[in-house]
Amino acid sequence: MSYIEELESRLDQSFIAIRYNVEMEGPAIKPESDPDVQNILPKEEPYKSIATGVLYGDMEATLNGVKKGLEEEDLSPIDIINNGLMKGMDAVSALYTKGFYFLPDLMLSGDSMMEGVKECEKVLGHKSETKATTVSFVAEGDPHDIGKNLVVMFLRANGYDAIDLGRDVPTEEVIKAVEEYKPIFVTGTALMTTTMTVFPKVVEELKKKGLELPALGCGGGSVRKDFVESFPMSVYGVEAYHTPKLADSILKDKKTWKELRKEYSEIVGEFVPEYA
Amino acid sequence: MKRFTRMVYKNPEEIVFGRAKFPVSQRWNIQFGAGYVVPEVKVAPQEGSEASKERMIGECRNIAQSACERAVSIGLPAFMLEQEHVFQQTNNPEWAAECTQIQAEVLESYHDEYDIKVSLRQTPADIRLEERAPGLRGSDYDNKVEESLEACAANGASDICIESMGGKSVSDYGISRGDIKATLFGIGVLGSIDMEYVWDRIVNICKKYDCRPGGDTDCAQANTAMFMAGGLLDKDIAHTTAALARAMGAARSLVAVECGAIGPLKDCGYENPIIKAISGVPIATEGKNAVCAHSDLMGNLIAGVTDVWSNESVYHRQEMGGTTPEVWLQATGFEAALMNTALQTGTAETLRDTYTLTDKYRDPQALILAYDNTYRIGEAIVNYGKDPYLRSRAAALEAGKIINEASEAGKLYLTRFERDSLDNALKVLEELPLDADQFIDECLRTYTRKVAEFDPKSYEL
Repeated sequence: MSYIEELESRLDQSFIAIRYNVEMEGPAIKPESDPDVQNILPKEEPYKSIATGVLYGDMEATLNGVKKGLEEEDLSPIDIINNGLMKGMDAVSALYTKGFYFLPDLMLSGDSMMEGVKECEKVLGHKSETKATTVSFVAEGDPHDIGKNLVVMFLRANGYDAIDLGRDVPTEEVIKAVEEYKPIFVTGTALMTTTMTVFPKVVEELKKKGLELPALGCGGGSVRKDFVESFPMSVYGVEAYHTPKLADSILKDKKTWKELRKEYSEIVGEFVPEYA
Repeated sequence: MKRFTRMVYKNPEEIVFGRAKFPVSQRWNIQFGAGYVVPEVKVAPQEGSEASKERMIGECRNIAQSACERAVSIGLPAFMLEQEHVFQQTNNPEWAAECTQIQAEVLESYHDEYDIKVSLRQTPADIRLEERAPGLRGSDYDNKVEESLEACAANGASDICIESMGGKSVSDYGISRGDIKATLFGIGVLGSIDMEYVWDRIVNICKKYDCRPGGDTDCAQANTAMFMAGGLLDKDIAHTTAALARAMGAARSLVAVECGAIGPLKDCGYENPIIKAISGVPIATEGKNAVCAHSDLMGNLIAGVTDVWSNESVYHRQEMGGTTPEVWLQATGFEAALMNTALQTGTAETLRDTYTLTDKYRDPQALILAYDNTYRIGEAIVNYGKDPYLRSRAAALEAGKIINEASEAGKLYLTRFERDSLDNALKVLEELPLDADQFIDECLRTYTRKVAEFDPKSYEL
């Protein structure tokens, strides 16, 4: 036995570290057995197969169901999106919120849903209707974009037309996008202290042009709430998955950036230390 | 390029903090891995300092001077100051030059007055963008990175480092979807190819100046996995998946050493203990004294074999105990003093083992970085040392084996998500082709289609 093994044999691990994720884990469930999922999933075919395909992130099954619905059953692409694809994604969101599903599940389901939507749009001949348009960008000078990519995925999975401007985006391109798309919500992300200073510049340029946004959501590695709240029109975003909830509250409840700041925890439905 | 096909250390017991097989000496009478641990402090320039060159130079001077003042006022024998560049510094190489110069002047003045051992590390930002033609190679941004590296080397940096970003577009895709094949392709293949391009240049630059080629880190990839994995209750990616990404990251970051980097390897490379076991170069690491920058689950364990103990990064501002360069150098300085006391009193191995045992079973990511396990992963890498793909795959498989053994022994508990993710990943990894060209062809077909930003030309593929 080596010295470290001998030391290890003396340890009571419960005094050192506890894996609470294991301790608190509930019993395994089949996704479609969850009562909320059962309520969300459609009962009739092919919507059920399409939604279940999305639920399992199974792109092939999703596309087969969509094609069958479009080609063999002559269903409306809009119905397939609303009654099949979106229902599947709603079920995925419910499981993610409950902690049964994780990010990879969400991403794969999101990919399946988006491919299904593309098939429907081919038949429609134009983009399908969405809840509203949003715009997302990474601050100029910043190449770190995984946060923005997650934000875009979460927004699209929740029925928004999320325009992705990419990374290292000059301020003028953000302003141009606001003029062109008239988004209900803009998100900006940054990893560095010195690139997050782009955010107040965006607000300043919007004001110069007389443009007003319900909110500019700012987040990312080194971005701080106190900095974001030092200029108007902005709200500090803590987690990527909060984004659609913020967008929903702007869309449905007409929340302003001031209200988002005040009611953030309530809107996203959980304790958020930064807003405590 | 010399690839590692044998372990420099004969057994894991030999590896301890403060001692490396191949110590590094720099100007200002400082050594790394030569029998003592050096504390490091790193502070991010305040927002607004990027408004002009003069403000940025002033900011860098203040950071350096604050750190020096606290170092002498608490009696530190040695310390390293690192400046990670913000975009504006790298995009304007004359800023890089003048910021380096002012910090070098400050450090030298304290070295001259107090004889304190000091080191100035400069880390230009990798601002290259793969999706913007011509991509990672030959673009304006790529040229700016090279010019800034040279500006630092020419103006007083003791060593230069980088956090290279090659392969990130594909590994991000893989990490966020639990697609281990994409993760392996992004880290093990694309990351390794890009590192060779980046590090050949860095080593050539350093040959011209009294400046050492430090090291790289898989910050862009394995740290992305670690940060997304987050704490125990986070639900983004599995901690087992993040552990496999880390093991792959070791095979990737080793390329810097193979190109001629001599260390200390860059602080946020949590894979560095594996590379030290393979190559014997000194390493910087960070853990419990980097909580100002981020949270990890191995805050003590990662100190076990370190040579430079870092705070990672912190806003430049005031705290109750002083400005952040002062406060966080004091934090890393006292931890280094503990390790140096252990080295001096012959109790280093006991302290190393105590550090290790505090976190070993806290998380699978910590488990694979315990020094006995890093040695095993190192052996897996050198067994396939000449093939960046196969050695990354071997590192991940060995990490999986280590996790499974601890789980079966009832020492490490996994959630279903962690267990399923690990089982799925290992199954995919085991079934992958044993021929790198075949693997690359398959991945090119798949990921050029799935990952919009991925440009094979950036890797000459």
